[in-house]
Amino acid sequence: MSRFSDDTAFRQALDELDIVQQRDVGALMIEGLLSLTGDGRVSRALGVARDPNAGDDARLAALKSVKAAALDSHARCGADSDWAQQADYFVARAAVACLSDQVLSHGKGPAWQTAVSCRMAKACVAAEEDADQNGAEIERQYKILTDYLNIR
Amino acid sequence: MSAPTVEKGIRFIKEQIDAPVASFFSACVHCGLCADACQFYQETKDPRYIPINKLEPMRRLWEQEYTLLGMIKSLVGLSKPVTEQDFKDWETLVYDGCSLCGRCSLVCPVGNDISDMIRKIREGFAAAGYAPEELVGASTRAVQIGSPMGVRLPALQAQIRHLKTNTGLDVSLDQQGAEYMVLLSSMEIMNFPEYLEAIACIMKQAGKSWTISSTAFEATNSGVQIGVSDIARELVLRVVNAAEELQVKTVISPECGHAFTAIRWDGPNLIGRAYKFRVQHILEVLDELRTQGLLKTKGVEKARLTFHDPCQLVRKGGVVEPPRNLLRMVADNFVEMQDHGAMNWCCSGGGGVSANERAEPLKFTAFKRKKRQLEELDVDMLVTACANCRITIEEGLEENDMELPVVGLTEMLAEHLDLDESSGEAGS
Repeated sequence: MSRFSDDTAFRQALDELDIVQQRDVGALMIEGLLSLTGDGRVSRALGVARDPNAGDDARLAALKSVKAAALDSHARCGADSDWAQQADYFVARAAVACLSDQVLSHGKGPAWQTAVSCRMAKACVAAEEDADQNGAEIERQYKILTDYLNIR
Repeated sequence: MSAPTVEKGIRFIKEQIDAPVASFFSACVHCGLCADACQFYQETKDPRYIPINKLEPMRRLWEQEYTLLGMIKSLVGLSKPVTEQDFKDWETLVYDGCSLCGRCSLVCPVGNDISDMIRKIREGFAAAGYAPEELVGASTRAVQIGSPMGVRLPALQAQIRHLKTNTGLDVSLDQQGAEYMVLLSSMEIMNFPEYLEAIACIMKQAGKSWTISSTAFEATNSGVQIGVSDIARELVLRVVNAAEELQVKTVISPECGHAFTAIRWDGPNLIGRAYKFRVQHILEVLDELRTQGLLKTKGVEKARLTFHDPCQLVRKGGVVEPPRNLLRMVADNFVEMQDHGAMNWCCSGGGGVSANERAEPLKFTAFKRKKRQLEELDVDMLVTACANCRITIEEGLEENDMELPVVGLTEMLAEHLDLDESSGEAGS
């Protein structure tokens, strides 16, 4: 059962994790959404994010590759919208957030930013319908953090 | 609309030759300053990209139809008629090789608005069927769906739900009598949802009432980009009708350059009357809130950062100081590019260039000017206020293997809001 009932406590718990742990949790959140992206750069980058022994060079290389993935998948100005493809973009953006330095996250922790982009990815899937998939994604994220904290 | 033909294209170009255009052609002294000002020419050194040359078909029609010498030349068979080949040859010059940035117009010593003439010649190219297919598609979707990217109301509603979940803040659609009506660009809805979140947080702190129209939330005006005034007029009218129906005081144009030009400057001329409301760019609104003491921030960015002025905002819109006033609130190491403000260089993707896939290699060539500007400064972060500039610059940086975060100014300000200093309760 999840120990979180709202985002305030969830975000605070994420922010209290150190940067390596934030990347670990962020990567776990993204892993559950890999079916939304066909870009191998994202899954490879998650391997680096979850590796506590990965050095800065490896992380920066992974970050560069997922930034490229995000750029490649963004909706071009004036292009016909394809929300399924746009989920791809937000999964890549989640990976960018997950691998970014705290200082470049404009005051938001990487794990929280990852969580927000993951939610946008799920929102994209439902974008053309009047349906709300946010709730299920949020519950999934709460459970991931709860499990992570329980085994830590 | 009838099918495009070359004859129709020629007729449309002739119709664009009004008194200002005629006087501009008469006044051109062939000084070449517009060439110095154009990054498409400067970075390629291809004389076809000299701004005044992009207007050559229009100049020939003007000469043949409206000058004595040109009429005589036509009578004796010495003039060169505009043909389908000219449309083929010039299409890439007027669409791919011009971002409508307006730098050429600003430096012209006789005051020729070359950039506006290029927008006008596009009317003829679109009517002749010589316009990039992406812009044709975007314009069609804008008319039929209400968004050039086909973004429909349920997609916006999904974003609003997402915003509510993440922040607890709600957005009221179609709120009668709200002070502000916020427009969004499809680019923001699809790529940068943080913009809407930033607006919600800022308005909450400022205690201002605001709304979004469910029938006219789109700011982007593809009619202006492709050069079809009928479409541009129709898109402006949708916003005007919604704003007047909701009786809002101010319509806020988003972080999108040409959307601001379309609704703020072109709009009243397109519909033939003044608005019953004010139009402001989001940065003008934020700066006004700052001067009223309604924008309270805390903390500053330590990174060395600079600001990229979107052409439509600074050169055509005159919004020069607001972004700088706002940056000074949240950045203590803000540095200017050598050419900044009104003389800033374009991101290279404006005026429909970034939508035009065929133009990508040329766009990256023209981006080299921005690249050099950034290399000279050696900054850690770039801030801008246009979703299209943002994506274009990110692509240019990636192409040139440069690492530099690019962020929107509204979003950056929202990150620094002092939430203990709320001015009111209104929100949306």
